[in-house]
Amino acid sequence: MALLYLILAPYLAWLVWAAFRYPVPLSYNWRSLWQRKVSTLSTAGAISVVVAIFVVVLSLDQGLSRAFVSSGRSDQAIVLRPNSRVELSSTLDRDQLRILKTSPLLASDAGGPLISSECVVVRSLEKADGDGSANVTVRGLEPAGIRMRSQVRLLEGRWLTPGLNEMVVPRRMQGRFMGLGLGQKQDFGGRSWQVVGVFDGGGSAFDSEIWVDVVALMQAYRRTMFSSALVRLGSEKQVGGFAQMVDQDKRLKLEVRSEPDYYADQTKAGQPIRILGNLITVILTVGAIFAAMNTMYATVASRTQEIGTLRALGFRQHEIMASFQWEATMLCSLGGVLGVLLSLGFNGIQTGATNFQTFSDVSFAFLITPGLMFKGLAFSLFMGLAGGGLPAYRASRIPLTEAMKGG
Amino acid sequence: MSGEPIIRLRGLAKSYYRESLEIPVLQGIDLEIPAGGYYALMGPSGSGKTTLLNLIAGIDRPTGGELEVCGHTLNGLDDDELAAWRSTYVGFIFQNYNLVPVLTAFENVELPLLLTPMSRRARREKVEEALAHVGLTEWMEHYPRQLSGGQEQRVAVARAIVGDPELLVADEPTGALDHKNAEEIMALMEGLNRDLGKTIVMVTHDPKAAHHARHQIHLEKGVLDRTIEVNR
Ligand SMILES: Nc1ncnc2c1ncn2[C@@H]1O[C@H](COP(=O)(O)OP(=O)(O)O)[C@@H](O)[C@H]1O
Ligand SMILES: [Mg+2]
Repeated sequence: MALLYLILAPYLAWLVWAAFRYPVPLSYNWRSLWQRKVSTLSTAGAISVVVAIFVVVLSLDQGLSRAFVSSGRSDQAIVLRPNSRVELSSTLDRDQLRILKTSPLLASDAGGPLISSECVVVRSLEKADGDGSANVTVRGLEPAGIRMRSQVRLLEGRWLTPGLNEMVVPRRMQGRFMGLGLGQKQDFGGRSWQVVGVFDGGGSAFDSEIWVDVVALMQAYRRTMFSSALVRLGSEKQVGGFAQMVDQDKRLKLEVRSEPDYYADQTKAGQPIRILGNLITVILTVGAIFAAMNTMYATVASRTQEIGTLRALGFRQHEIMASFQWEATMLCSLGGVLGVLLSLGFNGIQTGATNFQTFSDVSFAFLITPGLMFKGLAFSLFMGLAGGGLPAYRASRIPLTEAMKGG
Repeated sequence: MSGEPIIRLRGLAKSYYRESLEIPVLQGIDLEIPAGGYYALMGPSGSGKTTLLNLIAGIDRPTGGELEVCGHTLNGLDDDELAAWRSTYVGFIFQNYNLVPVLTAFENVELPLLLTPMSRRARREKVEEALAHVGLTEWMEHYPRQLSGGQEQRVAVARAIVGDPELLVADEPTGALDHKNAEEIMALMEGLNRDLGKTIVMVTHDPKAAHHARHQIHLEKGVLDRTIEVNR
């Protein structure tokens, strides 16, 4: 995409220069657009829908990426069974954990060494909109695990009491699923779990997880194996040393991955959505470009005599070309502005998507940032250039003798 | 009134080609028109009047012969040079007025001046002067659709003279007008010739209109038939 703009840059530069230096005033094009209100508005409308979809797809992509990227701290690492890409398919036993907990490289705070043994299960929850249910990640963790996720803030209630069947849930999931209100209960693993706290995951992957006490969770599910361990080291540099230590200990046979790496890998989860989104956008874009082209060809055809007259008066070919290119650009930018406004309607909407690696739900919010709005406008500009080029060229080649043709 | 020739055509020819078939329209036209002349170009429909006018005005190119207008040999000019030449030397008046519908009378008249380095204020002065000359000062801010046919053609005349060109070309300027409006336009053009010294070449098949010119050139099947001096 960036390459496309780079190729178009000289053309765009010429166009901007033309707007200032060429004699055909831009108001002529703007008014001509409104001369043909119906066709202008319907074309701009079609373009606006494409631009809106383009912006929303980008925002979805960004939302997903942010969910994973903001989840990791560079001085923390996740310990997994080798070759398990996600925690869900990893196992750690108690002996392995006992050895990890004695590592001198671990950082600690007032509550003790910063290591959390964790267990991850997937649980199906009823959606709030009545549209069936979706898989949700339930994470069992230790109190240290909560302290180590520094981007997570408690909004209401309190954190978990070790050993009890309690859960804390992200605010972002509350609107999307049933029965997650403070004090409400959910049944799973043969027990009833009460919501005692609500947290904000700051747009991270934890906004899609329900947290419970790890011991209580393993008892309920009668599990003896943990899924993973989260550790914090003294500094970012020590992550490598810790990995080396784990690697060299024959009793462990575990893999250490830095937390940012682990979550960066998870952004691949958005891949299928991204590919589908791009495909739809490309198809719609081609359609919109042809719509713009068609409208511009019709405009040029109906103004043959007018264009011939301008040429007779002394306006030159490239001046006519620039003028009609501007008209196409205005037409598409009008669609661009409408499209961005349309996409703003999605701003802040909470939604979910399926993580195709864990097949569980990822909650995130659409954020239509100024950057995305700019991209949407640039995109409409691109459509104007692509769709307006040929009609503008044709306009510039209209024979001057057309001016003299009697009606 | 008649001075040096402003238009000099030697063996001027124009053919159209349709699938390698030559369709000759003008065949060896020799003609000299002196500066300050007012010529009506007459002849039956299809005789090549518009074609000849287009060549003189530099909006079409001959397939043979030489063409010298307003001191320039047009054969040798490229498209951009020809465009610059037109905007300097030629004013156009069309049968259908050819005003730009989205521009006001003022803006339409201003169009040719946008091609000059003139300042905005200088342009305004010139446009107001031209519109005053055709008696449309009051209608400056009106759009073509708000004007009558006669008024539209007067705006077109103002547009033709605003850049002070030496030569005015008109193709059936009264063809779309009723008798009264046609008379007004004819009187206006006569004034442009008499008072401002503009050389005018006007295509018409209306004998009444042709009578306003000083000379009548008759074209018959692509060759000049005869030139008559009009007695008034
Ligand atoms: N672009 C063109 N291609 C082919 N033939 C043309 C073209 N323009 C004009 N002609 C022909 O040239 C002849 C003269 O046309 P024109 O100069 O318009 O005549 P007039 O103005 O005297 O009615 C006509 O027979 C017309 O059909
Ligand atoms: Mg004709």
